[in-house]
Amino acid sequence: MKYKWAAILAFILVMMLPSANAFAANTFERNYTYDYWWNAQKSLPAFELVNLIDGSSMGDIPLGSVDDVYVSSNRIFLADSTESRIDVFDMNLKLLISIKLVRDDAGKIMVNPETNQQLMLNKPEGVYLSETSNELFIADTEAGRIVVLDGSTYAYRRTIEKPANMVGVTQFKPSKIVVDKDGQISVVVQGSYEGIIQLNHDGTFARYFGLNNPRVNLVDYFWKSIASNQQKEKMKKIFAPSFNNLTFDSEGLIYATTFDASAKNKVFRFNSKGENVLLQNGFARVIGDLTFGWNSQESQFVDVAVSDYGVYALLDKTMGRVFLYNFDGDLMNIFGGSGNLKGDLKEPTAIAWAGDRLIVTDKTFSVAYLFQPTEFGQAALDAEKQYYNGKWEAASEEYEKTLHLNSNYDIAYTGVGRNYLMQDMYEDAMYYFELGNSRGYYSKAYNGYRNLFIQHNFMWLIIPFVLVAFALFYSEYRYNKRNG
Amino acid sequence: MASMLEDGKYMFHVMLHPFDGFYAVKNVRKRSYTLPTLIMLICGITGILSYQYTGFILNYNPLFAMNSIMIFVTTLAPFLLFLLSNWSVTTLFDGNGTMGDIYMVMTYALVPKLLFDIVGIILSNTIIQEEAALLHSFVVIGTVWFYFLLFCGLCVIHEYSPLTNIVTLIVTFISAIMIVFLAMLYFMLVSKVIGFVYTVIIEWMKR
Repeated sequence: MKYKWAAILAFILVMMLPSANAFAANTFERNYTYDYWWNAQKSLPAFELVNLIDGSSMGDIPLGSVDDVYVSSNRIFLADSTESRIDVFDMNLKLLISIKLVRDDAGKIMVNPETNQQLMLNKPEGVYLSETSNELFIADTEAGRIVVLDGSTYAYRRTIEKPANMVGVTQFKPSKIVVDKDGQISVVVQGSYEGIIQLNHDGTFARYFGLNNPRVNLVDYFWKSIASNQQKEKMKKIFAPSFNNLTFDSEGLIYATTFDASAKNKVFRFNSKGENVLLQNGFARVIGDLTFGWNSQESQFVDVAVSDYGVYALLDKTMGRVFLYNFDGDLMNIFGGSGNLKGDLKEPTAIAWAGDRLIVTDKTFSVAYLFQPTEFGQAALDAEKQYYNGKWEAASEEYEKTLHLNSNYDIAYTGVGRNYLMQDMYEDAMYYFELGNSRGYYSKAYNGYRNLFIQHNFMWLIIPFVLVAFALFYSEYRYNKRNG
Repeated sequence: MASMLEDGKYMFHVMLHPFDGFYAVKNVRKRSYTLPTLIMLICGITGILSYQYTGFILNYNPLFAMNSIMIFVTTLAPFLLFLLSNWSVTTLFDGNGTMGDIYMVMTYALVPKLLFDIVGIILSNTIIQEEAALLHSFVVIGTVWFYFLLFCGLCVIHEYSPLTNIVTLIVTFISAIMIVFLAMLYFMLVSKVIGFVYTVIIEWMKR
């Protein structure tokens, strides 16, 4: 008898043990994704290394480091700040030209008439080709100027020095640069808390742009609230976190990243007022790795690349990973990692789309990797492409394809369900939305399902009411009759 | 069994007439703990049910990681904590209720909350997101009723004025925190001691 109770007690104790979970983070599996409850789950990589540019593809010309990459319709531009060069490649990764000394139309080296010095690039960190004006913009960081060359002959056009009408305390050391269709130049200066500098086409200062809110620290807030004005003056000022990179999307809105630890958001999509309109409707906000606690290693995004169909890739320098998000802010895939193998990253600097392929550059390895989509990645990208263009059925087919390859790709369940919802097939839609943990869509599907259910079973639902009403009337009738 | 049915009938009377009802429960009626214990069990089971069977739209729990025994225990633990801390506080504050009285009051007060919760679980399977607020306000009726019954019941069994009761409840809350703190301290110390003994044994074995 005594043993029986001991056995029952032991049984209950064993039942209280938490069920074992298999976390991908605890395995050697490097490719993972996050599910609805922010647990790491195994996943397939969406991209694989196919080719690369390194010193050997440059001939006699040295390649010091790769700081920025820009891909135009037929060329790839790399900015090399160590060797102070801009290297131009064609789409087959063949070197076309390497620019260090700037030449004029006649092919003669430009000379500054005042100082009698040759016009030479000085540690450029950014490059951008404006295809509308066919001009190549080079952010010549150390020299504190923007050098503009012709887009096809690479002949000197003009130099944009620090604008005379520029306000603020930001040093004019352009690091990353983009130019929109109207010729407005947006420049990121590393460490500038005043925002992105916008210049007019002629090089005059237009405005600072972009709102980057700092995180509110409860402890600081408390001390600030009880401090006197004198004390407040002595306190360290909280500056707006600085942006470190920017790019355009297909609609001409600026995407920017920040890895300042004090920033509230890490990725921005600015409307023309400078407000962040990035959609963050995924399982988590757009913050990369979901790690918390004392040893958390937050992702620090150094660059963002936006495709024509809203999928954007974020390059994380903490773990050397690339995070793919779709337009809604759902995490699509995580691939890559830091290490010393081919395809690994040490000090990632820039990322850019080349069609459906991605170019990722690394400063320490002085290399530009070309990644192409895997079968799964291609299906996932095609699905987003079709969905972005409003072709829901084609998108659903691609989503189903991704599910055959990777059943942990949760957003595909929602994608398939959305198509069923559009076709009013509510039960199928509910099944898929439940798998995709998409409660908002599930609710919509359930609403339709419930309406149909009530329509079909109206008789059975109404009979009890009729019976109750009838019983009430009858009892009233009897009561009145008996009591006259 | 018959007496339990009688208790069950009286329980619903208590729900609607808390002051008279709890007075009779304490002083007049024959004391039986079968029904209260049954209610406590149902309370734990309701916790499990609400974890698993709340409709998908309102259910954010990872069902694959469900551990029903754990849920049962964590649902009932706050009540045990309240029982202990309230009893230990009211004995110092000249309360007349015994631990059994507090147990009876707590379980009888739970009945409307359980009823509304169970109906809420069923209804949650038939609603869409826009109607979730309505369901929440419906379930809150049961919870408010529970707090009201508990408050009345404690007033009656301890023979407190409402103000004293509020003071003792605040102190109960503080003492509950202290109990949790001491329990954690105790368990941490015990694990430290076990760890020490373990290390000593390992050292001794590998000497």
